Amino acid sequence: MSIRDWWKGIWPPLGAVVLFLIFWQAATSFFHIEDWILPSPARIVSEASHSYERLIGHTWATLQLTLEGFGIGVVIGLLVAGILHVIPFLRQALYPLLILSQNIPVIALGPLLIIWFGFGILSKLIVIVLVCFFPITVAALGGLAGTDRTMLNYMQMIGASRGQIFWKLELPYSLPAVFSGLRIAATYSIMGAIIAEWISSDQGLGYYMLLQQSAFRTDRMFVAILIVIALSLVMFSLIVLLEHWCIRWQRTNHERQGGR
Amino acid sequence: MKSPNLSTDHKSPVPSSNFANLALSDFPKPDAPFLELRHIRKAFGKGKKQLHVMDNISLTVQEGEFVSIIGPSGSGKSTLLQMIGGVLLPDDGAIMLQGKRINGQRGRAGYMPQQPALFPWRTIEQNVVLARETAGLPQQESLELARVWLDKVSLGEFRQAYPHMLSGGMQQRVAFLRALLGPQSLLCLDEPFSALDAFTRSEMQSWLLRIWEENRRSVVFITHHIEEALLLSDTIYVLSNRPARVLERVEVPFERPRREELVDSPSFIALRRRLTELLREEVSAK
Repeated sequence: MSIRDWWKGIWPPLGAVVLFLIFWQAATSFFHIEDWILPSPARIVSEASHSYERLIGHTWATLQLTLEGFGIGVVIGLLVAGILHVIPFLRQALYPLLILSQNIPVIALGPLLIIWFGFGILSKLIVIVLVCFFPITVAALGGLAGTDRTMLNYMQMIGASRGQIFWKLELPYSLPAVFSGLRIAATYSIMGAIIAEWISSDQGLGYYMLLQQSAFRTDRMFVAILIVIALSLVMFSLIVLLEHWCIRWQRTNHERQGGR
Repeated sequence: MKSPNLSTDHKSPVPSSNFANLALSDFPKPDAPFLELRHIRKAFGKGKKQLHVMDNISLTVQEGEFVSIIGPSGSGKSTLLQMIGGVLLPDDGAIMLQGKRINGQRGRAGYMPQQPALFPWRTIEQNVVLARETAGLPQQESLELARVWLDKVSLGEFRQAYPHMLSGGMQQRVAFLRALLGPQSLLCLDEPFSALDAFTRSEMQSWLLRIWEENRRSVVFITHHIEEALLLSDTIYVLSNRPARVLERVEVPFERPRREELVDSPSFIALRRRLTELLREEVSAK
């Protein structure tokens, strides 16, 4: 992809953001909106440059919590998908319940988790794992079940065992689907971490936001939100990079089609 | 020294407790053909919706013999291969490989499906060794063999390429190598050229003819292309409409090595016409 193509793709959304910021800046001064209701973009940027030292600690705490929760969520999500796939009866029994369980808002579970697991790290991790594992499990199950019938039949014909079919065919075949689940889970995991910190914490961006809310420091809340967005983007990009590395054969396919 | 005793000497393919229920056909014969299908019957479904696809099919494949099975579409040709591969079970009858009953035993035959079914995440050489790898053969040895063969069929430069970079004909060559290099000595090819254009198809036919004549293996070849069957095979079984029976067994008289020009010879044309008429009658009798 040439720089010109890249620029062609990037300028419309970039332009929209710049326009939006100009409008925001103008509106706050034109309508005399008070800072504690809606601070101007310039105000947020200057606040960020003042408080970034304090925020580094909180950001680090949130990132750490996110990565731990995400890691556990990925492992559990993939394990559950693998087990449900290999044992069709379990899948039949549990898959509907799994979907039903997603109707329970995580934030409503928070107080319960604190009663059961206390204010420590465990209840926070559980919140993140709960939001992460579902998209991974559903995506992986879909990918595993969607295995190409001709390839599956080939493996059966040449006498491959159930394990060989899983490791040599079904698992690699499901990777693109698994990664689309991972991408969603990666962004969810930041959200889960913020919610977890709202419920119980003495550090992290979620905690910082609550603190600034009670002080009506809207500008600082916006700074925290900006960091949250940045963290989400970083998580997302990391997964995309990993995906490109793992699914090289597919990327070259896209490049080939794009090059024609 | 053990005294010769029937129960140890004569290996029975089924537990001896079932001895009383055994049909005569379950016992291996010393001079048995390489592959033998005995009185195969098969139906799908139950009750009124039952579809009777195969009715008493018997055929044999000798060691190093190229056998084609042709028949109208829907006559269960692929079903027959699925049974030889052990993925489907016949309702009745026995599949005997080298004198042993292999009903429902998977992995006794190398397989080349209609679509190449190469794994897109594996390079060409990794695809070629898949059947060997699945059988647990040492990887290094398999890769070396794959290299030798890829060079032999002038695909050497594509060793490290991924399947999508190859044309349809090249992919089928790779799929054939994968079957050929597998540990099984019987090869089952299921209409391997039917998805190719006419030109590539005839090119692939002479390619397969050359490779096979240099490396004789027992082959069961499914096709509905009469000329292809005549050019390649030693023996052709013509199947009827559903439920399929063997209409005729044709021994192909042409000498080997055969060349593509054979298709223009009068005796080839005469035989082709006879088979075409036989199949046409069968299709119109539907």
